[in-house]
Amino acid sequence: MLWLSLHFSSLATELREPRDVGPAAVVDRHGSRRWIISCNDAARQARIHSHMDATSALVLMPTLKLIDRSRSQERRALQALASWSEQFSSFVTFDAQRWLLWIEIGASLHYFGGLDALMGKITQGIRELGYTFATGIAPTIEASALLTQHKDAQPVHQTKAIKLGISALPVHLLAISISTLDVFRDVGWQYIGEVLNAPRDQLARRFGPDITQYLQRLLGEAADPREPYRAPATYRRRLELSFAVDATEPLLFPLRRMLGELQGYLRGRDMALQDLQLTLVHEKNNAAASTTLQLHTTQSQRDAQALWLLLREMLERTALPAATVELIISVKQFVAPDIAQLDFFDDKAKREQSWSNLLDKLRARLGTNAVKHLGLKDDHLPEKAWCVIDAEKQNTDSAPVSAQRPLWLIQPKLIQSLPNLIGKPERIECNWWQDDMQRDYYIAETPEGSRWWLYRDVQSSQWYLHGLWG
Amino acid sequence: MQRAEAIANLLRTTPDVWSGHEVAAASSRDTGFSALNALLPGHGWPVSSLIELIPLMEGIGELQLLLPVLRTLCREGRDVVFICPPHIPYPPALANAGLPLNRIIWIDAKNDDEARWSAEQILREGIAGAILLWSNATKDLSLRRLQVAAREGDSLLFLYRPYALLHSASPATVRIALRPHAGLLHAEVIKSRGGKAASTQLQLYDVA
Repeated sequence: MLWLSLHFSSLATELREPRDVGPAAVVDRHGSRRWIISCNDAARQARIHSHMDATSALVLMPTLKLIDRSRSQERRALQALASWSEQFSSFVTFDAQRWLLWIEIGASLHYFGGLDALMGKITQGIRELGYTFATGIAPTIEASALLTQHKDAQPVHQTKAIKLGISALPVHLLAISISTLDVFRDVGWQYIGEVLNAPRDQLARRFGPDITQYLQRLLGEAADPREPYRAPATYRRRLELSFAVDATEPLLFPLRRMLGELQGYLRGRDMALQDLQLTLVHEKNNAAASTTLQLHTTQSQRDAQALWLLLREMLERTALPAATVELIISVKQFVAPDIAQLDFFDDKAKREQSWSNLLDKLRARLGTNAVKHLGLKDDHLPEKAWCVIDAEKQNTDSAPVSAQRPLWLIQPKLIQSLPNLIGKPERIECNWWQDDMQRDYYIAETPEGSRWWLYRDVQSSQWYLHGLWG
Repeated sequence: MQRAEAIANLLRTTPDVWSGHEVAAASSRDTGFSALNALLPGHGWPVSSLIELIPLMEGIGELQLLLPVLRTLCREGRDVVFICPPHIPYPPALANAGLPLNRIIWIDAKNDDEARWSAEQILREGIAGAILLWSNATKDLSLRRLQVAAREGDSLLFLYRPYALLHSASPATVRIALRPHAGLLHAEVIKSRGGKAASTQLQLYDVA
């Protein structure tokens, strides 16, 4: 196995949507003590950094915004990242406590065209999701995690090379208890290599079996018991916003990230969707608790950008009753992806794909019924000889009409003065038990030169305008 | 006059000489009417440009004028989009005219802004064969936006405008006034950038 480990060192600040504009830091607390675990660029510029005591940070920068960490948000973010990563591997796992994600890439290297190509795809994808991260590659989960802490670490491919690869790293990076690390420091050990060189039985006697088991997993002497993450069968991603948002525009950025995650999830399963539900949960104390948008696409879809554009159109058209505090994307049903979404699609399929994307976009903004496809119906009455049909169920082999018909049909309109009639009438009859209809259709020309299609209702002898020769 | 013709002939037969109206339009589509082709840039409906059609009234063959080019586009598998037509584009008549209904899309927008927005989206995508848009827009900016969007794709854009706007300024490449004349459609090309000088008159189509 070969593990790619990703460490999201700014996860707590980067998962906040909308992002904090001013200097902001996320803090953890233990009793009355609070310390910074992650901060944004604006805070870093004022020499604020992780592990710093919250009080000292406030002394440095009184305007610093302190935010309590949300472990559930962190977990949800890592779950979404793990789901996204499944497009590259069947074994993905994460540790929400340590902000670490692991992807087994040994089995995927060949398929994705080698280590560099695969790494390029993964790192670009995660960058697009809006996270910064450090990577480490090693044959064991724990060794790859350690290498994320070393800026210029080379990938370690062989189990026997692990020891050499990590020996020079500072000892405090080991994922063991603080009390053990304190003792190591007192002994004078600075580097991991010193711990690895110590007799294993003595370590076990002094610190208990946990440390030796950890070292065995680290060096590949014992298997790591971690199970692969399995995303649930239906997709649901919840994102609590960092503050209540009145407008729709600030929702678009987090939405883009959420759809990016969804795209990875769909790719990992080789699936697509046609229906997606976006729920906007509103501030409490409001009559309307939430607004739900139902997106339906004509063709199966999994492209994040296309979905984002559609939802953006819908959002721009939706009046939200109150400020939004939470976004939920859920997909209950999945469909097979269109062949057109694979890489080798031809021009015609591409064009059809663009059309359905485009029409979906128009429908999202103008309303579902605004985009019409036309069909013929076998009916004598001119106003019933056509219909609006679904594009998907389009039937092209309707019976052709032999008689001449005007290009514009209008609602029958009673007319008082009759223009010049041209030619012989066309009798149209319709004998139904409920209504008996007889009409004589004429072409006529007005004195101004406009050509009309009109009929005389035989029973009432009244004249109606029914079409124009456009 | 004879001299002008002689010069024109000479220019046409001399290689390396390009006349202005030939290079102006990147590509164009046969209108189906040679008399009309002769007046237009590139001898046909210019692609990726704004073409204004300004009928005096409805029911004078203002749509039939486009049937030849629409038929050609449909045959090539390109779609035709009607945006906010004033009436129902009657499917039996379209089918009779040789336009397969599966190539026709009818878009109904709530107002003029949305109609133009739809046209822009479709133009940018560049996949439609022709877009027929009915709009009352008067602002120069609105028309320019359409013109710019048209340039991005390779669709034909026909903008039907009310006759009252005949004399208003317009960035369109081609503007044609349509009037009935003794059972024929009389098309007056009042502007044709890169085509022949304006105010030439044509009688081109039997309506009935």
